[in-house]
Amino acid sequence: MSESGARIYDVGYRSYDGPRRPPWRAVVTVCLHAVQRVLGLRRSFRHKILPGLAIVIAFLPAIVSIVVAVMLDETMDVGDDLITYGDYYFFISSAIALFAAFVAPEALCTDRRTGMLGLYLAGPLDRNRYLLAKAAAVLGVMLLMTLAPPLFLMIAYAVEGLGPSASELPLLALRIVVTGLSVAAMFAAVGLGAASLTSRKAIAGVVVALLVLVPGIISEVAVESGGAPDALSLLGLLNLPTELALRVFGDDPSSGTAIGRVSTALVVAGVAAWTAAGAVVTWLAYRRIEARS
Amino acid sequence: MEPVETKAAPVVRANGVVKRYGAKVALDGLDVEIGHGVTGLLGSNGAGKTTLISLMLGLRRRDAGTLEVLGHDPQTAGIDVRERIGYGPEHHNLPPEVQAQDLVRHLTELHGIPPRSAIQRASDALWQVGLGEERLRPVGTMSTGQRQRVKLASAIAHDPALVLLDEPTDGLDPVQRDDMLALIRRIGTEFGIDIVVSSHHLEEVERICDAVVILDSGRMIRSGTLTELRQGAEGLLVEVDEGHEALAERLRAAGLEAEVVGETVLVSGDDPHDAVRDAVADLGLGLRRLEPRRRTLEDVYLEASA
Repeated sequence: MSESGARIYDVGYRSYDGPRRPPWRAVVTVCLHAVQRVLGLRRSFRHKILPGLAIVIAFLPAIVSIVVAVMLDETMDVGDDLITYGDYYFFISSAIALFAAFVAPEALCTDRRTGMLGLYLAGPLDRNRYLLAKAAAVLGVMLLMTLAPPLFLMIAYAVEGLGPSASELPLLALRIVVTGLSVAAMFAAVGLGAASLTSRKAIAGVVVALLVLVPGIISEVAVESGGAPDALSLLGLLNLPTELALRVFGDDPSSGTAIGRVSTALVVAGVAAWTAAGAVVTWLAYRRIEARS
Repeated sequence: MEPVETKAAPVVRANGVVKRYGAKVALDGLDVEIGHGVTGLLGSNGAGKTTLISLMLGLRRRDAGTLEVLGHDPQTAGIDVRERIGYGPEHHNLPPEVQAQDLVRHLTELHGIPPRSAIQRASDALWQVGLGEERLRPVGTMSTGQRQRVKLASAIAHDPALVLLDEPTDGLDPVQRDDMLALIRRIGTEFGIDIVVSSHHLEEVERICDAVVILDSGRMIRSGTLTELRQGAEGLLVEVDEGHEALAERLRAAGLEAEVVGETVLVSGDDPHDAVRDAVADLGLGLRRLEPRRRTLEDVYLEASA
């Protein structure tokens, strides 16, 4: 006779007869895991500090601008003093670069140091799918910096009655998405390229920082003092996002700077070249990496 | 018409597999078939065990030959093959700050198990390997033995058809090693999962494996079930209280081959039973043991290597 409330708690190891998801879902699994890791989710508080801080910095200009608008709009016309979408990247480009120096190494280098790369590649992933998952994760997280704040700004301006008319809104949204995606892709690619060259996060972070600072300084000196072509200023990763944003949003190019004298087509080509260079370096580096097995 | 005798397809089938790293030949025309059950991949360091495992996983490309794992060529159908394989690598590195359960769950999801089932199966697998109470601990705080168990749990949680374990007892103390070997044997027998274990420890392979593949310098030098490999030893093993040398001398005088090994005398020749009985009786020795001589895996390995 059995007790009516009796239960078997440990039924032991069982074979799995349930549904299995197709192999491509492994890309989504790795991507989501990388996003969680980079943002410090399911990790201790200290892992949340840096990404949290960077995102706050990215939103800060938008928040300040909106607060100013809300506080002053009843007493004076603030339209000309508000941050424009084109200018926004000037305020946050350093934070974006800093974030890129953190995100991509966290996503890539850790797997190589901890042996996870070998475990991933011993599963239903190959190098290309693995890189696709990581690139999507890094891009997604970078979009929190490059896309979310201008979108937030647009919505806040619209709610406050400072934004464009309803008919202009789709075009503005499209420009925000194009700019945010382009800048995020460029920094993601540069970050991934640097991170693909080493298994040490700190070294990769320093490489990204050097890539952001050094070519820009050298090219500026070469253009201003050495008479080099203005197009050389496209090597400056800090100015490029701002300049791209100004052109996309139809604002005037930066005045008095070499990059401001470069044509829009070349600015777009510059962003594309940096993105492609980072992607190619990453792909080539992972072609020759032997997963530890 | 006689019924066709069906035989289960081998888990792994390699024909003339060659793998080179520059000038170094890691696998030199390897021909081998690995069947169901627990199979030991035996060989010294550099024999080609890890290279063969990486080819089986499709992580490296072979230079020549054909290889089938679970009926597929891992070089062309790598993802399909790897989805059905559980793998425990040789290295002990795992993400240190990740909880064991999170790691196993993540790798289970990676192999196509939906998230809710993956959580349950990760927990079950960790209980099975004896880490139920420790499953929420970060992997970095675990001992080498516990990490080996985490790797084993990761390898079985998605219910694979085949598990590849590369030196699973590496870095374990004797007690941990015994536990791990028992666990592997249990997975292979009770859970019905085919297992290939690479090792360079003969006694480990002898304890847990149904079959053995012995590699040397990238070639298969012997393979078969343990029973098959141990067959072929001729003669008797005789253990007496004392007088081993006298017994051996007497047997040699009777035209047999006799060798004293420790407390035993190994005798071979045509039907030595009567001669041994007579010699022991004539010398008045106390007979402790008389049994057919069996080859150990070490004998097989040494013969094959020679």
